Amino acid sequence: MQQDAPIAEVIESSTRQFVAEVYEDVEAPAFGSWVCVEGEGQNMLFGLVSHVETGSYDSNREAVALGLSSEERAEEMPMVQELLRTTVRAQVLACRDREGHVHQTLPPHPPDIHDFVHRCADEHVRALGAPFDFLRTLVEHPDPAVPVDDLLVAVLRRTYEANGAEHGGREALVTAGRALSRLLDDDHERLQSILRRVL
Amino acid sequence: MLDLSQLRAQLDDFQDYEASVRDRRVEQRRRACAVLASCDEQWPKVQAAVEEAQPRRLVAALQEAPGTTTDAPARPTPITVVATDGSQIYPDRHVDPTFFLLNVSRVGFQYGTQDEPLLDSVPRLRFEDDVRDHIDAVLGSMTTELVSALRDEMELEHLLAAAQEGKVEGRPLIALADGTLIRWMIRGMNNEAAEDALIARYTDYLQSFRTAALPLASYVSMPATTEVVNLLRFMVGELDVASPDAFAVSPSKPSLEGLLDRHVFDSVLAPGQRSATFGSTSHIQRAYPEGSEVCYFYLKVPSTSGTTEMARVEVPRWVADERSLLDRIHATVLRDCDKGDGYPLALSEAHERAVIRASEREAFFRLMERRLRRAGLSPTNSRKRRSKQAPRV
Repeated sequence: MQQDAPIAEVIESSTRQFVAEVYEDVEAPAFGSWVCVEGEGQNMLFGLVSHVETGSYDSNREAVALGLSSEERAEEMPMVQELLRTTVRAQVLACRDREGHVHQTLPPHPPDIHDFVHRCADEHVRALGAPFDFLRTLVEHPDPAVPVDDLLVAVLRRTYEANGAEHGGREALVTAGRALSRLLDDDHERLQSILRRVL
Repeated sequence: MLDLSQLRAQLDDFQDYEASVRDRRVEQRRRACAVLASCDEQWPKVQAAVEEAQPRRLVAALQEAPGTTTDAPARPTPITVVATDGSQIYPDRHVDPTFFLLNVSRVGFQYGTQDEPLLDSVPRLRFEDDVRDHIDAVLGSMTTELVSALRDEMELEHLLAAAQEGKVEGRPLIALADGTLIRWMIRGMNNEAAEDALIARYTDYLQSFRTAALPLASYVSMPATTEVVNLLRFMVGELDVASPDAFAVSPSKPSLEGLLDRHVFDSVLAPGQRSATFGSTSHIQRAYPEGSEVCYFYLKVPSTSGTTEMARVEVPRWVADERSLLDRIHATVLRDCDKGDGYPLALSEAHERAVIRASEREAFFRLMERRLRRAGLSPTNSRKRRSKQAPRV
């Protein structure tokens, strides 16, 4: 399948998560959106963006307040933009094998450093649907630095959109909600709080 | 290990000494300002007397009243500012084979536009054969003087290239170098042929700036120069040559010895102002092509913390002769210092790009060792160096 241009490149990698540096002039993928890393053959890893961060390239140089508009900053301190970079951390939640089957589980191998990262197209997001096993990994082994409920809100919203939003998205959302309900031990208040924020 | 408790008494002495120096400086400055004012009234006569007497010390050459001050004009916008800086890994006596590394950064800003900046650095590994190709003179060893001279030359070479690349038709430009343009430190290598070769190559680049009409300036922070003070000392008869009595000024004390030019101009200039432009009489100037001899002015640089710092800005004579270029350099350097909190932004960015960090240095040595070892050329790393790298308990 024809891929969009890559938006980022892997700079830290493990089977559980990877960190990618977003290319300059590219809008960073949103929190809770799906990204993928293509491997050989049909191999592909799916990661959920759980953290987006912008900061200085150089650990010796901190960003400081400048009191300039973005235009003035670009005109008079042109190095500032060059010194900033955005990185995203993605939790690996699914993979596709050589035959093209999608498994909602961790991959056998992590992505390689410098592998290209793409945004997931709607059809990929739809493939990460029922029985929503990835939700179990997300709920039971959350990234401790990320508020997991907010991440769930974002990922369910993405599922809803990729399935046609008001034209069919609700059905996928109900299925996902049922799976989530079981995972949350029928903690209705928590589930309600999540679902309320999806739509 | 540094035992701070042992330093207490020595710090007390130092503090007392500094207090006495400060008191003496106040008196010296007062007297220096009086002499400077007297010089203002008769500077052509003073200049003629200096030329006649030829004192041994370096005395500033006058081209206008030395107490002249100029306010900063507004910086033109847009403007191109290019800068370079360099760093090095000096040859290590404890490592065989001998080599050294130069790293020169290139910065090019198109201020007032949103054009992409130029920001990069160029490393160059140098070793005996390579250096011999460069300077046709027999060198006993690769001294730190030679490494510094080659680094300065590489900085100027890349500054010229960056200026040529960054130049935009119809847009003013200045090329900013770090440190002095006067190659006095080259003399002292005890090898006249090599010294001459190095100076010739350096001045060739200087001349190229003139040929291409690319205004060059160099920035010296906290200069320790005394050429203007020497001129004042000449007037009051403190130098090795007698000066006509006509220049005597009251008060007649204290001696101006130890006073620096920057102390004098700190009293004369208001924040943001530049001094008169002076000519350098450094002997090495005789080897500089006509029009590229070095002139300089002092600049009082304000910073956001409310303090000021004195800087010396050096320019080739062809730049000093054109007032609009001096104004452009004055305004641009001042604005850049404002953005860089007291030090020109373009130069501090160039510095950041030129620096070789400890981790990069180690990575370079590892790479070098691995390469040589793989080729069967194991490098010798003396025991002294190894013990410094990994001290044992």
